[in-house]
Amino acid sequence: MSEDEIDILDYLARGGKLSAPDNAPPRYRAELLRIMASFVDSEFAGAAGFADRINDGPGVKERIDGARIVFEKLEHGERVLRIMGEFGADVERYQSVHPWAARIGRDDDIGTTRRSGDMRLNVFHYPFAGWTDSVVMNVLMGHATVIQLSDLANGSYQPLAQAFGEILRGERRHAELGVEGLRKLAMQGETARGDISKSVDYWWPRVTATFGGKASMRQELLRRFGLRKRSNEELLDQWRGRVGPIIGDILKSLA
Amino acid sequence: MARFHPLRVTDIRRDTRDSVVLTLEPPADGREDFKFIQGQYLTFRRVFDGEELRRSYSICAGRNEGILRVAVKKVDGGWFSAFANDDLKVGDTLDAMKPMGNFHAPLNPEQARRYLGFAGGSGITPLISIIRTVLAEEPKSSVTLVYGNRGAATIMFREELEDLKNLYLGRLNVVHILESEGEIDLFSGRLDREKCDALFERWVDVRGADYAFICGPEPMMLAVAGALRAKGVAEDRIKFELFATAQRGKAKAPAPAGQTASSARCAATVVMDGVARSFEMSKAGQSVLEAAIAAKIDAPFACKAGVCSTCRAKLVEGEVEMEANYALEDYEVRRGYILTCQSRPLTDRVVVDYDQ
Repeated sequence: MSEDEIDILDYLARGGKLSAPDNAPPRYRAELLRIMASFVDSEFAGAAGFADRINDGPGVKERIDGARIVFEKLEHGERVLRIMGEFGADVERYQSVHPWAARIGRDDDIGTTRRSGDMRLNVFHYPFAGWTDSVVMNVLMGHATVIQLSDLANGSYQPLAQAFGEILRGERRHAELGVEGLRKLAMQGETARGDISKSVDYWWPRVTATFGGKASMRQELLRRFGLRKRSNEELLDQWRGRVGPIIGDILKSLA
Repeated sequence: MARFHPLRVTDIRRDTRDSVVLTLEPPADGREDFKFIQGQYLTFRRVFDGEELRRSYSICAGRNEGILRVAVKKVDGGWFSAFANDDLKVGDTLDAMKPMGNFHAPLNPEQARRYLGFAGGSGITPLISIIRTVLAEEPKSSVTLVYGNRGAATIMFREELEDLKNLYLGRLNVVHILESEGEIDLFSGRLDREKCDALFERWVDVRGADYAFICGPEPMMLAVAGALRAKGVAEDRIKFELFATAQRGKAKAPAPAGQTASSARCAATVVMDGVARSFEMSKAGQSVLEAAIAAKIDAPFACKAGVCSTCRAKLVEGEVEMEANYALEDYEVRRGYILTCQSRPLTDRVVVDYDQ
């Protein structure tokens, strides 16, 4: 079979895909699990943080939207956790291994570093300062999630790529619900818009940090494995270009 | 944790000179566990010479046929495949995990879909399951199978495919590509890019296909996928299942430490991405993972609680003690795998390899 056998890493680098855990080489497996753990932890932590804010919603519509977002984020996390389970992760235990609702201080600055404990993205360590603040975060991070997942949804592990593709539809809706909610808030007047603006200033650098640093060894590795296609910088640029005008319009057109 | 169930072998049919089709029956209380989705596989375990081997084989039956079948092709030096071909008897049992795998697309009986299948050699096995299921459960859909083999004598499921063509007239089209035989140029040779381009130009219309399933050796899969993409088939419509030839060699047990532990410090070496780096660590404090990270090695981890298995590595020298392990199975531990986030050295020297 010698002419049929090429290195599996070469296969991946040339656009090949995998569909079963047994075919994943060790380093590929590790990076794939990291991506999955980071996603699962972010969804669980995001849901836990947002769950506490549901009662702050000004009306039933907002609370329904908030509850739906929490429900779907847990569902998305659980879905990817099941794929981790196929690699040997203990799914039952994983669900309770981290304090998902735990937050650091509002003014602590952790940059892009991971905290000890779970692998949630840095932004999910910060607490909300009220309903408006949570809606702003949802708009900014919601769009970031959509852009980051769009890249991962092309990844070389097909079961995960497929799951991300389907999850993407839900996450897109979450971001849209956020924009809708934010528009409504902005219409309440100057004070409300001032609050939105303050929250944007708070969350903007923190969401920016979720895109990670400039070219790193890991990024290159992920690209070779076919797990990532575009660079952190490209994704960040796309986010800025997309979310900047949305926020600008909401604040400006009503001012 | 993985659970194995005993499956009784109820039939063994020789398919080609070097392959057999096994029919298996789950235990009465395990029928539900063995309901499968078309395109899934079974993982078997068996002990050879005191060492546990695991092998996965695609199920080659339709989803609702009510039977469980796998085909095993004999490969050079493959213990399990030789055993299944030569020694296994009707009435024996095989330990298997319940079906796994994601090589499928959700069915929709209302739709008239066009499926493409590409198989190289024993890569036909999951496609048999997909084809049988689609033809039975999506009455308006059709399948075109492009099937590459060395020669006519090695074609697995040849007769069965003919029978299916007759049973579902006009809905299954099979194009055989043979390496060493064949009178027509278009249908002889290997399933490489050139061959695919020629086929898609002159024989197989891939535009508008709903799904393409590819299973075979890596170069063939890349060639087919490349040619499909070039014809505008969307990436998420192309499904890959890697050929099961990657029979891993026997893993060596970790070397004994040689001497008993004496000091409180340990000389640790971590191999990652082909590079070995050494550092010293305390036996009492940090885990191997933490010490590696402290030594500026970008070792993989996620949960740090022994649950997720991201930090798995192979201990190639020395001994460690794992505080908790919820993710590795016994057979992995026997082969020397450790969760580095839970491991503290017991010997004066340990070597840990993330590349294995």
